[in-house]
Amino acid sequence: MINLIADLGAGLLTRLVQIGQALLMLLQAIFVQPKASSLPRLMQQLFVVGVQSLIIMLVSALFIGMVLGLQGYTLLSAYGSEQAVGQMVALTLVRELSPVVAALLFAGRAGSALTAEIGLMKATEQLASLEMFGIDPLHRIVAPRFWAGMISLPLLVAIFSLVGIYGGHLVAVDWLGVYSGSYWGNMQQAVDFNEDVLNGMIKALVFAFLISWIALYQGYSCVPTSQGISAATTRTVVYSSLAILGFDFILTALMFGGAV
Amino acid sequence: MATNGIINIRNVSFYRGDRVIFENLNCAIAAGKITAIMGPSGTGKTTLLRLIGGQLQPHKGQVLLFDQDIARLNRKQLNHLRARMGVLFQSGALFTDLSVFENVAFPLREHMNLSADELYNRVLLKLEAVGLRGARDLMPSQLSGGMARRVALARAVAMEPEIILYDEPFAGQDPIAMAVLQRLIKGLNSQMQLTSVLVSHDIAEACAIADQVILLGEGRVLAQDSPAALQASADPAVKQFIHGEADGVIPFHFPALPLQEELRGQSK
Repeated sequence: MINLIADLGAGLLTRLVQIGQALLMLLQAIFVQPKASSLPRLMQQLFVVGVQSLIIMLVSALFIGMVLGLQGYTLLSAYGSEQAVGQMVALTLVRELSPVVAALLFAGRAGSALTAEIGLMKATEQLASLEMFGIDPLHRIVAPRFWAGMISLPLLVAIFSLVGIYGGHLVAVDWLGVYSGSYWGNMQQAVDFNEDVLNGMIKALVFAFLISWIALYQGYSCVPTSQGISAATTRTVVYSSLAILGFDFILTALMFGGAV
Repeated sequence: MATNGIINIRNVSFYRGDRVIFENLNCAIAAGKITAIMGPSGTGKTTLLRLIGGQLQPHKGQVLLFDQDIARLNRKQLNHLRARMGVLFQSGALFTDLSVFENVAFPLREHMNLSADELYNRVLLKLEAVGLRGARDLMPSQLSGGMARRVALARAVAMEPEIILYDEPFAGQDPIAMAVLQRLIKGLNSQMQLTSVLVSHDIAEACAIADQVILLGEGRVLAQDSPAALQASADPAVKQFIHGEADGVIPFHFPALPLQEELRGQSK
């Protein structure tokens, strides 16, 4: 029993040390005076992290919007309220599904790639080489990737919501015959910019911070072997997914819990 | 502080967990010479190179570079010192997203304020010195292992450093590439009046170009002398390593129980 408690304590201490190290890494990387020469590197990372994640986001958003349209119509038509399907699709997407699903996809698509890339740079001594040229790898490698994640995900979430709403329109209006005016009109009446859109964007920012931080730390601190990089990439996806779902509940409770 | 080399290792101890890598290690590397650091695998040759480069800090003792204790330098001072030093990593460590030209130009763009023409000419001259001027537009993934190491060598000398550290430059190279690298290291050392530190366990190749050899083993310096003197040494450990003998004072087997005790179903 004592051993069990000691093991738990040791495990907890190790985790706390890791969180401390990860925090230090992030602070060292991001608290640096921006230079004009860093801009092309940020643009390149915005392309890799953001633009290259666009296709998977667009396709997923379209299908999720279509499913919401179909499910919403089936459910609401039983009560003769199918005209409210637009409001249901929009609120579900803007408040919950867009930030959460886009973040989960982002963790799988961009987060894992970031970890693998930095892990391989470590394994092939590229990070050590930068250090020997007198260049801090945290500023050169970690910082642009972090800011690219912070900028990309909120934009991807906004695009996700937009495409999802059009997906819902495609099924509910174009296929099942809900009146288009009701679809858009109810949506406009029900969706509040501060309450819904802004809160969704705050969620996206928090998730972007968590995913970028986890992915970059896992890559930077991984054991530089094929097994170590593979384990770090897996940890990025698992920890990011759990963090997204856990923080989503906390944020939802803080943002919308007052009405309960 | 009185010193007797451009690089001085003073009473350095370094540990990895409970494992002792160095205990009170002392050695000096002379300016303008090629020094080969040799020893069996796992004796800390690369670790010593990283201690010299300031990538690792000793747990005890001092690493003095140009008479400065590396551990006492702040990041800016360390970076300034590193600008006087080139490193050839074992893997080459070329930046995979940059072409051969851009890899060699990288340290120049970062640290020197050269005009576009000056930079172009300097990179081309460095590539010419390693025989790869024609490969300037290739990407690292298109290079063979030997070519990648030559590009890395051109990059390491691009800033015209005073010291250059080579980590296993001959490992995994074919005989032609090995001979070319030998010639390059020797040639660059004399042309640029460099101090070269070479970590290797390719005895013949390293001894052929080295002015002095530091032989590491059991966490300390086993011998430090010219290659010829080491070849003639009667010291059992030096003799065993230099002549590549399996049996001797340097154990081939990792510490373990006697084999008879570990085999299953054997009568004791």
